[in-house]
Amino acid sequence: MFATYMNSLHETLSRRVALVLFGVAILVTLAFNWLVHIRPLANGMSTMIVGAQLPAPSGIAVPAVLESMLRATGTLWLLLAIFAAAPLLTSSLEKGWLELTFSKGTPRWRIFLGRFLGGLTLYAFTFTLATFPLAARLWWETGVGTWRIGIALLVQTFSFAALLSAAALVTLPQKGVTLPIMASVAIWVLSPSLAARQQAYYRLFTSHLARTIVDWVYRILPKCSELEDLCISLVQGGRMTSWWPVWSTSVFTLAVLSLTLWQLSRKSF
Amino acid sequence: MTIPAIETRDLRKSFRTLRGRIVDALQGVTLRVEPGTIFGLIGQNGAGKTTLVKVLLGLSTPSGGSARLLGGLPGNAAVRRRVGYLPEQMRLPDYFNARDFLRYMGRLNGVDSGVMKRRIPELLELVGLADVRKPVKSYSKGMQQRLGLAQALVNDPEVLFLDEPTDGLDPLGRKDVRDLLIGLRAQGKTIFLNSHLLSEIEMVCDQIVILDNGNVARAATPSEFTRGTGEYFVRVARLDESIRTAVEAVLHPSPMSWQQTTLRCMPRDVTQLNTLIDRLRSVPVELESVEQVKLSLEQFFLEVVGGQEP
Repeated sequence: MFATYMNSLHETLSRRVALVLFGVAILVTLAFNWLVHIRPLANGMSTMIVGAQLPAPSGIAVPAVLESMLRATGTLWLLLAIFAAAPLLTSSLEKGWLELTFSKGTPRWRIFLGRFLGGLTLYAFTFTLATFPLAARLWWETGVGTWRIGIALLVQTFSFAALLSAAALVTLPQKGVTLPIMASVAIWVLSPSLAARQQAYYRLFTSHLARTIVDWVYRILPKCSELEDLCISLVQGGRMTSWWPVWSTSVFTLAVLSLTLWQLSRKSF
Repeated sequence: MTIPAIETRDLRKSFRTLRGRIVDALQGVTLRVEPGTIFGLIGQNGAGKTTLVKVLLGLSTPSGGSARLLGGLPGNAAVRRRVGYLPEQMRLPDYFNARDFLRYMGRLNGVDSGVMKRRIPELLELVGLADVRKPVKSYSKGMQQRLGLAQALVNDPEVLFLDEPTDGLDPLGRKDVRDLLIGLRAQGKTIFLNSHLLSEIEMVCDQIVILDNGNVARAATPSEFTRGTGEYFVRVARLDESIRTAVEAVLHPSPMSWQQTTLRCMPRDVTQLNTLIDRLRSVPVELESVEQVKLSLEQFFLEVVGGQEP
């Protein structure tokens, strides 16, 4: 599996979309660093100026800056990374290549899982590239702890894993990368409206049956928007209020990924 | 009794098309390939050759019957580590160079990195790519085929499946591949060769199977396929009426025809052929050659798949 994992990273570096992703990550980190100015005060404290806003004590400004950064980058990376990672899955099933790899002595589920993990690494790496330099600078210059950005990385990568597992499942019965991307994006787009389904859907669907279906769709699909909110709350020093989005998304990811790998192992090519 | 390298019994494979029609790609294929031999599989397009290879490699699951590869199930990863495969259509990713590609293929087959360090240059030398430094994306079809052959050998396999191995190669390259196959057989490797180039098959194979509509239409050795037809070409130095009369006297009423100074005839048996030769010498006329007419594998194949008995 390690060989296919490394191969997926090798392939990633050769793709233009991944290079664009890295480029955007560097631009984002440069932009945020340029917007944030830190002024030390005489009492050993410091104050921050973010863009054109008024100065604020660092203890208040640092969490606010991290929140803005996560709101801006969280959404962007999920979308961009799906475009970069989904081809890693579909290319492993291309005719002429799958005959070469799946006829070897490594089970196909391991080959596919290696590439899935390669996709997650791509996301985690670009997220880190976009957010960690500023977090490190804030901690270094203000002394305010920003280690919780690490938790954000884990939560957001976990959310991305759920989306990528959906893309993986859609990869099997068809050729091409369009449908897997569309499936992931659709789940991600539906996520906030399903979380707020009473306001978003209950007025549209008045029957009990329709509302029950909407409720079940919400329960089954990954809770990307809730995970993003959770991630921001944790970065600001908040506490875990509910494990529901975490465990229900875990169940979705594990179930869908297991189903994909099982189907792949049985599939006739 | 030795374990066969490859064995299938009543192997069946059916597909359902998008319109729901069932296609029987393999309709009960039974064959046995002995270790250390070169086995040739021939058949028309759509005869089921590639499906058979895919089932034997565990890429496709059979609908019925059984398949054994080196005594184990084809889908077993440990069995596949002892097998090499060159598919007919290969897609080599752009980002590889030859060494990276072979290293990756080796790792998928569990080959130790120390072994690969030694083996990869040897293989590149063997297939004539040792001095090529450019990325795989700029390889010609022939070079890709050579690299494909190298990856099939990276794990030093006991059984080698080659689907059209000489496709895209020039005559010199084809000869190299033939020599390579013969050398591998001498090392005790089993080679399963799937090719449209019947002359190649005829030259190297120990056993040949003709697959027709998912069935084994014929299975024999090349010499059995290319046996004599009973006809002979007798070439004489000159042709005149006395020679024609002498030939008629011996062969009548067997079929015969002249083309310039060459007689094409079908004597009853070897005794009659010898009588003919004696008679011609007594004319006298000088005999330039006597040659038995043999069926080529191509003729035999056309007759089998054309539905005529050879």
